[in-house]
Amino acid sequence: MTSLEKLKEYTELAIDFASDKAEGLLARASIQTQSQIRFSNSSIDINKRWEGLTLEILLIIKGAQIGMGERSISGKKDVKALVTDTLEFTEQLPESMFFAGVEESINSYRELKGCYDAKIDTFAEHAPEIVNASIDAALSEGAKRVAGALRFGSEATYFKSSYGPESSVKSTNFDLNLRAFQEELDYSGQGLECGTIPSSSEEALIAAGAKAGKLSKDAIGAKQGKPGTYDVILTPTVAADVIGYLPGAANPFLVLIGMSPLADKVGAQIGPDFVTARDDPTMKGGLASRRFDFEGSPARKTDLIDRGVLKSFIHNTTSGVMYETKTTGNSGVVEMGQGLKMLLPTPSNIVFENGDHAPDELLETSRPTIYVTCNWYTRWQNYQTGDFSTIPRDALFLIEKGKMKPIKNIRISDNMLRMFENITVLGNDRKQIYWWEVNTPTFISSVKVKDCRITAATQ
Amino acid sequence: LDGKDLAEYCIEYGQKLGCDYVEARFEHIVGRGFAYRNGAPISGGVQPTRGIGVRILVNGNMSFTSFDRIEKKLAEQAISSAYKMAKNTRRKNPIDLGDEVSNKAKWEVKAKEKIADVTNETIMNTVSEMNEVMKDLAQYTLLVNPSEENKYLVTSEGTEISSYKPYINVMMLLTATSTGGSAQRMFEMNPVGGWERIKDLNLIDVLNDEVERLIKVAEQAKGYDELLKKPIDMIVGQEVAGIIAHENVGHPSEGDRIMGREGAQAGESFWRDLKIGESQVGSDAVTVSEDPTLPHTGGFYEYDDEGVKARKRVLIKNGVLNEPLLNREYGTRFGKGSNGAARAVAFNREPIIRMANTFFEPGDHSFEELVEDVKFGVYMRSFMEWNIDDRRYQSKYTGSEAYMIKNGEVTDTVVKSPVMELTSVGLLTAVDAISNNFCIDFAASCGKGDPLQAVPVYAGGGEIRFRNIRLGGVG
Repeated sequence: MTSLEKLKEYTELAIDFASDKAEGLLARASIQTQSQIRFSNSSIDINKRWEGLTLEILLIIKGAQIGMGERSISGKKDVKALVTDTLEFTEQLPESMFFAGVEESINSYRELKGCYDAKIDTFAEHAPEIVNASIDAALSEGAKRVAGALRFGSEATYFKSSYGPESSVKSTNFDLNLRAFQEELDYSGQGLECGTIPSSSEEALIAAGAKAGKLSKDAIGAKQGKPGTYDVILTPTVAADVIGYLPGAANPFLVLIGMSPLADKVGAQIGPDFVTARDDPTMKGGLASRRFDFEGSPARKTDLIDRGVLKSFIHNTTSGVMYETKTTGNSGVVEMGQGLKMLLPTPSNIVFENGDHAPDELLETSRPTIYVTCNWYTRWQNYQTGDFSTIPRDALFLIEKGKMKPIKNIRISDNMLRMFENITVLGNDRKQIYWWEVNTPTFISSVKVKDCRITAATQ
Repeated sequence: LDGKDLAEYCIEYGQKLGCDYVEARFEHIVGRGFAYRNGAPISGGVQPTRGIGVRILVNGNMSFTSFDRIEKKLAEQAISSAYKMAKNTRRKNPIDLGDEVSNKAKWEVKAKEKIADVTNETIMNTVSEMNEVMKDLAQYTLLVNPSEENKYLVTSEGTEISSYKPYINVMMLLTATSTGGSAQRMFEMNPVGGWERIKDLNLIDVLNDEVERLIKVAEQAKGYDELLKKPIDMIVGQEVAGIIAHENVGHPSEGDRIMGREGAQAGESFWRDLKIGESQVGSDAVTVSEDPTLPHTGGFYEYDDEGVKARKRVLIKNGVLNEPLLNREYGTRFGKGSNGAARAVAFNREPIIRMANTFFEPGDHSFEELVEDVKFGVYMRSFMEWNIDDRRYQSKYTGSEAYMIKNGEVTDTVVKSPVMELTSVGLLTAVDAISNNFCIDFAASCGKGDPLQAVPVYAGGGEIRFRNIRLGGVG
């Protein structure tokens, strides 16, 4: 029996077993193999490999009396135990205020193109060599130490809903985060690469190493940055976190719980007219690309920001009913602490339209400008107002009087809405970003933002 | 074959393959979850997780593998694959775990009201009480996750440790609004123990107090320019002391960061360029400790996930770097041995160096004595926004609830979002006194590693007085 046939059997069993006990059941069975090579000080620290086979279910007893369950599955006994435990638990729950049904139409799903690498096993065998080649590339460009992680793997999923929808999907993935250092702590650079076809990305993975190495060398001699108001150029890595935040916040659940600044902004001009962003689960090579969502709604593009105007939110069936609209095929399951997953509207890939300016054009400026190549630790004072700060790390440059000088130790302390409104230029260097700081795959180019508040330690 | 049997078989199988060291950790966690928004239920669920994580060493090269089905064939495949990967790694600098560890123990956290026996109705009744005290807020989201964790660690060196730990995670996002805008606060508790911990911690009263305070902030907080014109004295509450202990002291003390292993993720450490036992990074008043043995705390354990007995660690003693946090690998590299800091958040994660409960040791002042000597300053009781760079040197803490201090008294003037943006040394050297009013009940989930591992921790201390610091946040 193939993996998919086994997964199909588990979903069918779950639905059959629950059929006389509940109004409906959605079942998603997945089998995953993931590997990771972690390295530091230019040497591999640990090889990791994970094997998992899990079944997730949404059980609808009656109306909005719903419960979620998940467990690893060794055989049919585990499937029945999962349904029994979830049923027993859910029978004691009141109705959910955040449930208004699931997809009931039987749809056809488009094939997912460019998201499965048939050579994933061969890639796995060569992965240590690729890691070492990436490390060498960084060292060749002048780095003294290199750290990072390459992760790759495959997943097969079978989905079946008692309301009709049923399908399957296979995908592969990879992501490399490589950081190059000089001997000093202050001088470093980052290279990222991610996608779905690792076997055809070897050159790009090595290039990410070279890029990190060069940036670490360019950062040598960085001086303390001065607080003030500057224009900032954000590379795709930084833009994905800071500028990508707003389309990611076009989520009705985040609005409901007070974690989005976009509650009353639908229809409003929130950015310049050359900025357009959508949720796109059909994006070739997207790490969150999919054929269908957790309810079995077909994947489709959803315009979130159209020429600077907030056009719509993502929805699942429930939020679609609440907002008097329809699902956008964005139903997903989100983990909320140990023991709880929730059916919520969830983004797939956030995709910005590419700009038309070469990255070098962004660097041409007559105003004091800071070029930020990486950031992390973004935190909010208030999610509703968008007040936040984030820390630039790795190579960072002040562009003044036509010269780029490395600086360090500053913080972007601004407001998400203000920065989005202040976008002045989009580069034409769009790429997919996914790493520690950006967990929604985001396709975005370099972005220039005017009048950004930069702060620094006072002592 | 049950999980424990299979863990033992993993040792046997790994040794047969030729591994120099094999460690297998079977974990079975049963968790329930309840989610509410503005008092109304939005979701609930059950999620038992079970599996085995195996870590091996072959010629000084390390591999980790995990599997979530208790199947002998799957275990053999996973370990064989891990063995092959380790054998092919060929590090120039082999990993050495140091002296053998062969502890045998069974430990458990006693629960008066066992989590498994607590009915959903009981939990939902408590939730109703919590929702009732939050009802004056504009928005409030509540997650309650009671869980039980059973663990069995076995190694080729003879370690065999069984443990049982019940715990409860309660997390809230609170939003209060007024005509002047809104104020938000994340509030978390993650006590270890049975359901009785809810009563022991006076959760309902504590929450009620937090709600009232947040409403006051939304209604009354204002910015005051005079606070930015010159250096002032600051007093911070135990919650802020805790986050400073965690971020500015705990993280940079992690041995793996100091030696670069977390370089691409959580970063390195400014301790790297200092001398442990010699370098002065704070005033004499500063002693910061780490202690996983404090009962009922989120970071509690008796043995770590490498089988090393837990003990208290003094990270900074009277302002001088004293001891880093170490696991077996980095304990060997530092020449000190492990001090029991290896933690893994689940069976499918490698154990890495983590904090448990981190705090400023109490001083000998009362809170009133700290305040009475301040002519002009701010008392920052709690915080919302914070971050710190990846060497753990440039930190920022933005106040949630804060008051102006004038002439030795905390006034009723509520200060909006004061910003302490300082270096670790700038912050720690400005400490001139710490109160004896010790509290460590500030819970958080601490993120580190790749894939990210969010482990429960506690943090706290006495209230701290900082002299002559300049408030930041000015661009």
